Amino acid sequence: MIRASKILLFFTVIVLLSWLLPWTYDFVTSRPPKYPFTLYSGVIHDFAILEVQDKSSIRKDLSGNIYTESEFDSILPLFYYRQLISDERFPSQINGVDVTPKTAQIQNFIFRHTPGDINITKPALFPLLETMSGRVDLQMPDDVFRAVNSIEFINSESNRIEKEKSTQYYDILQKKGVCFPIRLISGNPTTRKDYDEGYFLIDDSYQLYHLKQTKGRPYVRKIEYPEDIKIKNIFVTEFKGKKFHAFLVDERGQLYVLETKTYNLKPIPISPFYPEKESLSIIGNAFDWTIQITNESGNRLYAIDADNYKLLKKMEYPVIVPTIQKSAKYIFPFQISFTSPLDNYVFPRLETISLWVLILNVLLVITYSLIRRRNPSQCWSETLCILIFGIYGFITFLLFGSKKDNFFS
Amino acid sequence: MYKAIFYKEWIKTKYYFILSTLLSWCFVGYSLLRINRVVEIKGAGHLWQVMLERNVIFIDFLTYLPLIIGMLFALVQFIPEMQQKRLKLTLHLPFPQFRIISVMLLFGLTSLFIIFSTNLIILSCFLGNLLAKELLFHVLLSAMPWYLAGITVYILAAWICLEPTWKRRILNALVAAGIIRIFFLSPTPEAYNRILPVFIVYTVLILLFPMLSVYRFKTGEQD
Repeated sequence: MIRASKILLFFTVIVLLSWLLPWTYDFVTSRPPKYPFTLYSGVIHDFAILEVQDKSSIRKDLSGNIYTESEFDSILPLFYYRQLISDERFPSQINGVDVTPKTAQIQNFIFRHTPGDINITKPALFPLLETMSGRVDLQMPDDVFRAVNSIEFINSESNRIEKEKSTQYYDILQKKGVCFPIRLISGNPTTRKDYDEGYFLIDDSYQLYHLKQTKGRPYVRKIEYPEDIKIKNIFVTEFKGKKFHAFLVDERGQLYVLETKTYNLKPIPISPFYPEKESLSIIGNAFDWTIQITNESGNRLYAIDADNYKLLKKMEYPVIVPTIQKSAKYIFPFQISFTSPLDNYVFPRLETISLWVLILNVLLVITYSLIRRRNPSQCWSETLCILIFGIYGFITFLLFGSKKDNFFS
Repeated sequence: MYKAIFYKEWIKTKYYFILSTLLSWCFVGYSLLRINRVVEIKGAGHLWQVMLERNVIFIDFLTYLPLIIGMLFALVQFIPEMQQKRLKLTLHLPFPQFRIISVMLLFGLTSLFIIFSTNLIILSCFLGNLLAKELLFHVLLSAMPWYLAGITVYILAAWICLEPTWKRRILNALVAAGIIRIFFLSPTPEAYNRILPVFIVYTVLILLFPMLSVYRFKTGEQD
């Protein structure tokens, strides 16, 4: 029993050290990567870059041309439209197309996604708002629905199932061919938006449906798309412009846009995007979108034509890891982290296993045997543990071991 | 002998047990009163809406309560043993030493189980009437790591108290702090769902730690 206790204590300390030592090292040495603010300019047909260096801002484009603050506003007229209106410099035309401040107000949008938005456990209950209430402000309903093996509406005041409404919705979903259980339900269940478009569902056979409540009645529409596509993520947009319903991502990481009027699914020609691991931001206007995908290895930027979704230009900012941070592989044999910037879950994750650390481990074995004044072969279990667990094993034995006996005896 | 040890532990901890039970009920009651206030002023619909929209569980007030109760329980139970040098006497009883400690720990764990389960029963009964099962499980699963931390800290505090040397006590306390920190790494509801089974197994396993302290006490370890 005592040996088992010692083994358990050893592994507990190893886990704690392999979590806390690399975390402390990382905290001291790492600097979060900073990417300059970059936006595609439809005026110069190039990326416009705003870089902050030593508290001063440098405004330039990808070709290296430098701009003043005022010039920079002018090459991004739809982004800085409020400044241009204030300066009475807002253009009447961009690329030969008539524009007004209203164009910017209505067609501009900003969409942001971080992996933490979807890597989270939330109760699978959804309020279905009335899309055509006739009122300007949206109102939360008195009920929410759950949709796993059927659809059930639960009244939040009485905490009871609304059987009539549930049957009405279940019947129409059945009629439209929905196969339960539902794999994914996506919407923006909040009243803090301009209008409501309900939810988009992926059923058991990977079919896509649009579900909403219109004048108290259910609206369900099956959205046709190629069979070889399996939609994995849906991000309902509900932007002022009402040009599209949602951004969707399939299992291969292809990003699509779902158009409002036609319900057509249009692919966006960018490299695969994985919403569980990567952040996405789309800053769009009536002419173009700047799509920015950020992950641990860098920042990819794409300029997309807002009309035909064709790729206009792309660029990349690779992440630069400081040399001192790179040297961690010579110190720590592995790292354990319980949290991640990519999700909201707590569980142990084994990261960065390094063999470079064996050099240090051998030195630590020699140091340990000198400190304890023992031949490494006399305390083979401790020697082996230090060789495998390196600095973690060394510290554990120094703190919890004794001069007389082997730690595990 | 089991009965005698249980009785001895009961005499030692009865006032703390009653006090912590009542105090935990007060804290749970206060949390539920706050929820009830929201329901009375804005209706249950608003409560559901806030829980779904903002992912809040309304019982954050209880986060550290099980931890404090568990830690104090171990201190109340084991510090007198060490201070009044009763452990030496206890270990000389005609009964296997590890079994004596196991029975003492079992008493503490049973007491904590009673306190914590009454808390969870009160929460479930009240919230079960008010919330859909998804929301109820969301609240209870989010609170589960706090209560497991209460059980774990009790065992770890017993391990520290029973340790004969101060140097090792400090090291044990640092290890215990590291372990307990893991239980409170994320305030996000249901963040611990994946690791909960590991926590349960580990909590059972660390019952071995106090035995290590007793072994060191018995063998007269000096470092």
